[in-house]
Amino acid sequence: MPIVEMQRISLFAHQQEKDAVINILQELGIVELVDLKESSAWEEMKLLLEPEEAAEEVAQLESRLGEIRYCLDFFQRYFPVQKSFIEQFTGARFNITPEEYKEFVAKGEETDLVYRNCREVDEEQIGLRNEETRCHNLLSSLAPWAGFSLPLEQIKDTKRLRMQLSTVPADELPVLQKALAETVADYYLEVVSADRDLAYVFALYLQKESAEVGEIFKTYGATEVSFPGLTGTAAQSIEELDGKIAEIQRKREELRQRVEKLLIHRPHMMAYYDYLEGQRAQKEAIGNLARTENTFMLEGWVPAPLVSNLKKTLMQETETALLVSRDPEPGEDVPVLLQNGPVSDAYEVVTRMYSTPSRREIDPTPLMAPFFFVFFGMCLSDAGYGVILSLLAYFITRKIKLKGMGKQLIKLLFLGGVSAFLAGIVMGSYFGDLIKIEPLWFNPLDDPMRMLIVSCILGGIHIFTGMAVQAYQSIKRGRIWDAVFDQGLWYLFLIGLVLLFLPQGNFAGKWMSITGAVGLVLTQGRSQKGIFKKLSSGLVSLYDVTGFLSDVLSYSRLLALGLATGVIASAINTMAGLLTGSVVGVIVMIIILLGGHSFNLIINTLGAYVHTSRLQYIEFFGKFFEGGGRSFQPFCKTTKFVEIEERKA
Amino acid sequence: MAGIIWALLGAALAVALAGIGSAIGVGLVGESAAGVITEDPDKFGQTLLMQALPGTQGIYGLLTGFLIMQKVGVIGGALLDLTVQQGFSIFMAALPIALVGYLSAISQGKAAAAGVGLIAKRPEELGKAIVYAVMVETYAVLALLASIMLLFGIVV
Repeated sequence: MPIVEMQRISLFAHQQEKDAVINILQELGIVELVDLKESSAWEEMKLLLEPEEAAEEVAQLESRLGEIRYCLDFFQRYFPVQKSFIEQFTGARFNITPEEYKEFVAKGEETDLVYRNCREVDEEQIGLRNEETRCHNLLSSLAPWAGFSLPLEQIKDTKRLRMQLSTVPADELPVLQKALAETVADYYLEVVSADRDLAYVFALYLQKESAEVGEIFKTYGATEVSFPGLTGTAAQSIEELDGKIAEIQRKREELRQRVEKLLIHRPHMMAYYDYLEGQRAQKEAIGNLARTENTFMLEGWVPAPLVSNLKKTLMQETETALLVSRDPEPGEDVPVLLQNGPVSDAYEVVTRMYSTPSRREIDPTPLMAPFFFVFFGMCLSDAGYGVILSLLAYFITRKIKLKGMGKQLIKLLFLGGVSAFLAGIVMGSYFGDLIKIEPLWFNPLDDPMRMLIVSCILGGIHIFTGMAVQAYQSIKRGRIWDAVFDQGLWYLFLIGLVLLFLPQGNFAGKWMSITGAVGLVLTQGRSQKGIFKKLSSGLVSLYDVTGFLSDVLSYSRLLALGLATGVIASAINTMAGLLTGSVVGVIVMIIILLGGHSFNLIINTLGAYVHTSRLQYIEFFGKFFEGGGRSFQPFCKTTKFVEIEERKA
Repeated sequence: MAGIIWALLGAALAVALAGIGSAIGVGLVGESAAGVITEDPDKFGQTLLMQALPGTQGIYGLLTGFLIMQKVGVIGGALLDLTVQQGFSIFMAALPIALVGYLSAISQGKAAAAGVGLIAKRPEELGKAIVYAVMVETYAVLALLASIMLLFGIVV
């Protein structure tokens, strides 16, 4: 059975061994904890038990975790760790030995010092950055005045004179000058500089005429500017500011070097983060427990084959722990764990991306696996690409340690490569037409109609298999007539229709399809009330035959995608072939071949994966699969940054 | 000689229309993907996968165009002397992938862009996001199939 039976366990132990027991459970990682307050036992024993609160320590651990997270983000800002394309899907972890890990954990308090250092650098850095922005802003507002020779502190009003620096919109300047010349008796106006939008002017005039001048300035959109606190000429101030900015940059570089020195602590911080995260998970798990004065109790789900294992470990490593297990009761929310063989488990990832099966149905993975294998191969359908894909998948597993769905996905691609290799041999495609070897069967490019028929026949088998699974499930639930009416009659009708098109099966086909159709009309409306409604919905159900037709035609994508791989590969080869002759030509040819075939491989692998998945989800799963189960999520150690190597026995 | 013009027009439309559609579709997904990356740069790989999906129509168009070019001898051989009927038939064969490729790539781009939004919040649902986008691609595949079958069926 691919869906593993679960056992409900209740565990009792002395309070003193609480941490030890929780630790054992986390190490084993085979128990899914259940919140006792939501279990049936709680109602019965409410009076005896008290809920265990998730300890205050959780909050403390969380704040420590936040600090380390902050440091790691801080390092990442300065010296980012680049993740490769594959690692973005799988997460990058680095390997450490158990000894190193222990050492890191023992030195855990040192992380606090690193944190304080980081904090300090960060604050200083923010201060410097603000100062630098201020300097830059001042610099840009001073720049237009660089050519002005009067020291800035001397631009102030005297008893009889007024001085001011202003900006004037460039196109208003001539009118402003004209207005001044016409209205004001004595004044001095110097245009210091001008750019496309603004002119920068110095104006000197008499106090008694300031009202007139002010009015003119206002009319033509002039704005007074001032530089309080600056002494010397604008040029001198600019020089000073440049010096200041250089100083700030030097300081920032110093800080950067300080961060670089702190960087050696990064692995330590990462390992300690994972350790604390594990501790936090433990403390949080305690929130699921209940206690009396001296004992505690927890409940959970364990895969049935592992119960004895758990019992043995607890017996050996604790003194007081007592374990009771029982079968799930109807109505309980039992988690689902899939278990497949070493090959078909690669396809679990396809099932799980759709939905986890519920406990009432069978796991579709092993049934789907052979179809997925064949269809993927037909879509990619090139021996050369198949070999490369398999090799790539193999090297990835060698280089990166993968777990769970990532590992399954790579395995799926490896098997896909094998399948494409076989399909390529059958159809005579080796990097398109690069290497010409006669096909074992036939090349779809020569006879696409034949391939279309093959695709649709495979599709028919796929769909019929899906219907058979539904029939099996109905029979298992004791509804034999459902299986006969809903699948048996459809089989009869559809096979009859197919036979009608074959010259040999004409007679049988006629009678099979008629019997099937009559049967369907009589039975498909059986859940309706009243003879008229029964018959009419039976009649309408015959319309579903178009659904089957479009399902089968959907498999024509196998042909289309297979052709696409071959034709694009041939196109690349043709283009490259035009370039032979000179040395440069050969080099360009090789580049086109490598680049083109890599691109084609990636695009078609993606296409093969998504379209094959779709055929499973819509055409196959649609016939029988409901899903909606809850995945088994054991309480276990998870690490984000480090991978602790297994101790070699 | 007028036949060849029709055939080449077909090839040009197949490549151009499907290519334009894919460019728009891929662009749409890229925009929303870039938005997600500002928040979480680690999702680059996943979003790139989504962005690649509406790109296939352009490839199908190119493929059809290439088949036509091969058939009429633009690539690897002498230009054939087609009758108007032959040339127009080839033109018609190019239409399914040209039209469906153009429109389906844009629709698929929209679906994939929404999928990018989905994986921004729930990266574990990547599979479902892909399936939604691939539902659209079905029709491009069918159109490609029709174009190829028509082309194979035309005798020149």
